[in-house]
Amino acid sequence: MIMEHTIMRRIVRACSCFYLLAIVLSLCTAALAQAAAPSSAATPPPSVATAELKDAAVKAPTADALKAGDPGGTLTGTITDVPASDSKAGVTLPDVANQVGQNKIGINFTWTLVCGFLVMFMQAGFAMVEAGLCRVKNSNHTYMMNFFVYGCGLLAYWLIGFAIQMGGSAGNGNLGGLNPLNIEHPITLFGKTWGLFGGTGMFLAGHTYDVAVMVIFLFQMVFMDTALTIVTGACAERWKFLTFAVSSVLMGAFTYPLFANWAWGGGWLAQLGTNLGLGKGYSDFAGSGVVHAVGGLTALAVALIVGPRIGKFNRDGSSNVILGHDISAVLIGCFILAFGWFGFNPGSTLGASANGNLRIGSVAVNTMLAGCTGTFGAILYMWIMKGKPDASMSGNGLLAGLVAITAPSGFVNPTSSAIIGLIAGVLVCVSVAFVEGVLKVDDPVGAISVHGANGLWGVLSVGLFADGTSNYGGSWNGVSGSVTGLFYGDASQLAAQLVGISTLLGFVFTFSFALNMVLEFFLGHRVSAESEVAGLDLPEMGQLGYPEFLFAKEPDIFVTHPREFAVA
Amino acid sequence: MAATSGQGRSFGTFIVGLTVACVGIAYFSSGIGKFTLAVGAVIFGLSLIQFLKLKPLEGQPAQIGGAGGMKALGAFIACFGWLLILGGLHVVTGTGGRIGLALVGIAVSLFGILFVLPAAFNKNAIWKA
Repeated sequence: MIMEHTIMRRIVRACSCFYLLAIVLSLCTAALAQAAAPSSAATPPPSVATAELKDAAVKAPTADALKAGDPGGTLTGTITDVPASDSKAGVTLPDVANQVGQNKIGINFTWTLVCGFLVMFMQAGFAMVEAGLCRVKNSNHTYMMNFFVYGCGLLAYWLIGFAIQMGGSAGNGNLGGLNPLNIEHPITLFGKTWGLFGGTGMFLAGHTYDVAVMVIFLFQMVFMDTALTIVTGACAERWKFLTFAVSSVLMGAFTYPLFANWAWGGGWLAQLGTNLGLGKGYSDFAGSGVVHAVGGLTALAVALIVGPRIGKFNRDGSSNVILGHDISAVLIGCFILAFGWFGFNPGSTLGASANGNLRIGSVAVNTMLAGCTGTFGAILYMWIMKGKPDASMSGNGLLAGLVAITAPSGFVNPTSSAIIGLIAGVLVCVSVAFVEGVLKVDDPVGAISVHGANGLWGVLSVGLFADGTSNYGGSWNGVSGSVTGLFYGDASQLAAQLVGISTLLGFVFTFSFALNMVLEFFLGHRVSAESEVAGLDLPEMGQLGYPEFLFAKEPDIFVTHPREFAVA
Repeated sequence: MAATSGQGRSFGTFIVGLTVACVGIAYFSSGIGKFTLAVGAVIFGLSLIQFLKLKPLEGQPAQIGGAGGMKALGAFIACFGWLLILGGLHVVTGTGGRIGLALVGIAVSLFGILFVLPAAFNKNAIWKA
């Protein structure tokens, strides 16, 4: 028995040794086979880039090193700040590429939002300019119109205006594509398809609850509100607050968004280039037409309907100067507006990172220059023609230059900007005299001239001065190449701009006029003659803007016979 | 009369009507959307009736009506200049011709805006009284 056990043990040991030997041999064979196999079948060696990424990760400052502070800024912002999709693998090339893309969009979001905030602050400038140019007895009313127009416009734009304007504007690469805004309602005429109005984005609900859509909504909303607030200046001191509010809501909901869609939302004016070969289509970089001419022409329509202030014109048709109460507010307001314009024009690139967006510096300098030469134009005109460098017209000259450069700011060079601004400064003075002396339209702040006349001039100047050097992604309005005006060889761009001007005059003005005539029927635009003479602060607002002021006696024509003027 | 609670109520009704109507438009493809639009339109209409009732309470403004036909004519001429260009763009093909056409259209519109309409509104202007 003992012998049998011993033999069995030896057999088991031998088998075990043989088995282990077989395993070792098979492993060695497999290793040799793997070594002999072609390199494509082997595990890929780390690429140079991956190796460099790992090297950078190793060399990145540690948390302990950063505890000591980074006064020079050389340690902050390294590969350790790039999120890795797989923490075990560390930062990979796809991670870096994604981060680059997000950085581009992040820069553009930030740029567009900050510029939008600047434009929003322009409301304060408008309020100061308009109230300063009105009499003290109407200051609260004028400030309140400028204050409330923000809410009226925002609400209307959120309800429906944004959808009409931008509902079909998908495709902007600067903001990630804006893909949810993908419905443009077209009409087919003469074998061509023309965009009429957008169809997504009402209430910013559904698919338009999107990070990029929020950015473009904010930016476009403050532009729209700028157009609305222009009207309040032209109709100040006699516009019924209720009618102002209703009119502003309707303008923010329909008038502005319709034209803005045609120019900026992929509508038919922007398609003039692709459909009819007119340059790059109607081109309005930041809104001389879309914002300022729309506001200025609506202001003219409403000012015609509401009529001149009591005492503005004499029986022989000559006009009286009705001085504003605070020239300091006017000029400070103008500076606020000029500051906000750096959001208006450079912000209209809708980005600071991507092809062509580095032109923001050029856009900003063009804006500065045109404002400067506009001021010069107005001051010199008034000084030479009237004997004094009039302060309020100087302010209007600054604004006129800025309004005029708004459309061409992205397409012209600094010399052209200076010329455009200078012409605007003179134009505003001539236009104010024409509106008051020939048309007999009372515009207390000069809004029709500043925004209407110079808005149209700005649109026209694109067709003349655009130098063909701008490059916003290689094309504009779907036509490859740069916007080029008549003076630089493309007459067809001028034709497109003239069609835009015609649309502003023929559609925007008429639509605003008809809409406000309907409101005249239902509400009446004008306050009673007694309220007007008393000043609108108490009758309309219930509170004086400056309760401790003692009002100076006004000329008789302004106050003595309100009933006589109430001839209706 | 100036601003009153009634004006505030009517403006509130107007805003509610517009909002409800917009909800209806946003969801127009559904049955409830169409119903909401109808409700919004009714509320909107109510606000217009309220406006009409409030209008006479304002008192007499320093403004004279009249010349309605001339005002309509001015607006029509302004619009006609634009329509002229829209139609002509498809007939005239050369760039020079299109620029000329656009200038004519703009001149027509400006005539309506700068001459006919102001003349209509100034016909019975308060400062002439």
